[in-house]
Amino acid sequence: MGRVALALVHQELLERTRDRWVLVISGLFALLASGVSLYGRSEELTATRLIGPSLVTLASLFVPLVALILGHDAVVGERERNTLGLLLSLPVRRFEVILAKFVGRLLALGGAIGLGLGAAVLFASAENRAVLLQLILPTLLLGAAFLSIGVLLSTLVSRQLTSASLVVATWFLLVFFYDLGLLGLMVVTDGQVAPETISTLVTVNPAGLFRLEMMQRFAGPDVLEGLGVGVAPPGSAATIGLWTLWILAPVASSSLILTWKKVT
Amino acid sequence: MTPPLKTLELRELSVHYGKLQALRGVDLTLSAGEVLILAGPNGAGKSTLIKYLLGLVKPSAGALYVDGARRGVDDGLKRDLGYLPESVAFAENLDGEQVLRFFARARGVPRQRVHQVLERVGLLHAARRRVRGYSRGMRQRLGLGVAILSEPRLLILDEPTGGLDQEGLEVLWSVLAEWRAADRLVLMATHDLTLVERRVDRMCLLEGGSVRALDTPTRLRELAALPVRVSFRLADPRDGVEALVAQARGFADGGEVALREDMLSVEVPPARLLPLLQLHTDLGKLVQGVRVEEPGLDAVYDHLLEEAT
Repeated sequence: MGRVALALVHQELLERTRDRWVLVISGLFALLASGVSLYGRSEELTATRLIGPSLVTLASLFVPLVALILGHDAVVGERERNTLGLLLSLPVRRFEVILAKFVGRLLALGGAIGLGLGAAVLFASAENRAVLLQLILPTLLLGAAFLSIGVLLSTLVSRQLTSASLVVATWFLLVFFYDLGLLGLMVVTDGQVAPETISTLVTVNPAGLFRLEMMQRFAGPDVLEGLGVGVAPPGSAATIGLWTLWILAPVASSSLILTWKKVT
Repeated sequence: MTPPLKTLELRELSVHYGKLQALRGVDLTLSAGEVLILAGPNGAGKSTLIKYLLGLVKPSAGALYVDGARRGVDDGLKRDLGYLPESVAFAENLDGEQVLRFFARARGVPRQRVHQVLERVGLLHAARRRVRGYSRGMRQRLGLGVAILSEPRLLILDEPTGGLDQEGLEVLWSVLAEWRAADRLVLMATHDLTLVERRVDRMCLLEGGSVRALDTPTRLRELAALPVRVSFRLADPRDGVEALVAQARGFADGGEVALREDMLSVEVPPARLLPLLQLHTDLGKLVQGVRVEEPGLDAVYDHLLEEAT
């Protein structure tokens, strides 16, 4: 990264730390995560029994939302403020601009996740802390994937309002309705869909992949089986591949689109 | 060390957006110490020309020569240019100083220059105020600050007068004067021709993607040959006025002759101006004062545009 891109990373981070929506949602996440952790401590619950799964559910709701909000104005915001041309008139490549915007916002997201999960770890009992720390990296990956999607959406549209609507729709679709859709599919087909197909459909959604991976880690395959969730998580290589794809493909697509799209 | 930028020359520059041809074989030279304005109706190609110089669009034909050498818009040129976009807004949750600091970091400009620039554009008092609280004129001044931050050799200003109050305009005029005095180059797209005409060296009139006229305001005025308005202040509007009006009509050549209270206004072709002023000398007793108004650059622009279409 050159000087301009590094300056942009710094600027993006600075700007995001002053975004009230990001601050409010991050604060709420931290509050709820602390609450879960304190409750678990008072009830002397182990991390794997309740605290972990509860935090996974919280993270899978809040983190994609914060990430999408963080990403939604990355390019279209500059376009609407008439500063995109100004930014690109600096000696910087367009892919560097996208990368810098992504990295700067990812650092802000990392701060939000660190705050939320950090609070949970802080309030957890000593024996639960190590288990809860395992949540941090997958949560960051989840956030990075949704941030990348947000950045892509912001590159595709010409108005910030459109981008905001699209990120809300994306959040509902991938975080809320996706699993319901899969359930609906199983009901409609009377359970005739092959478990492999369901597995694939769950894991191609970053929110599904995160939940599956984390539930597997906290509850173990036997518990999932017992709950009637016959979904096998992908192997390590496939998991790494899927996360890499979800994080890099939207950012790379954004760079290509910004290269080809007319700058007004 | 890169030699200082002295001339920019566009040769036969054409730009297409799909099937739409935005620029058609534009030839234009910008020299050191010159303030050149780009004028033209919407869709004439002004923005496309600016975008080309910023490296935002690729030409379909033609080339850019920098100091006589074919170069194109590369990082070297980008390092040497400052740009003020039209109606620029900036991130609302940052303050003016933070906005300038970003561009200072990006351009490798020392930090103390940020304060100098804030003072120069009259925003030092609002340096720590968030851009959200800035008026349109203040945002424009901040944009001007961003453009001049690195003291670039080439300054590109897109509608710089928008939203500026008198104080803001004075800042802009002083920047133009400084850039001219320092032998730098200024390219400015504007519709406020009357406002800027005394501060520019040449005007390039674009229409339909082509250069229709390119010269100094004085020369363009001569080319347009628009009538000049001469106003005589009469000593006594009742004394010998009919004869004076009749004589004035002879000079006006069909142009407007109007008598309002003690003021006789006559529109004459430029060639008849001197004989008409001679009349003032001859009729010294009847006339108390005289004022000559040349047509504004906006009128010249309208005329040239009408001729072109």
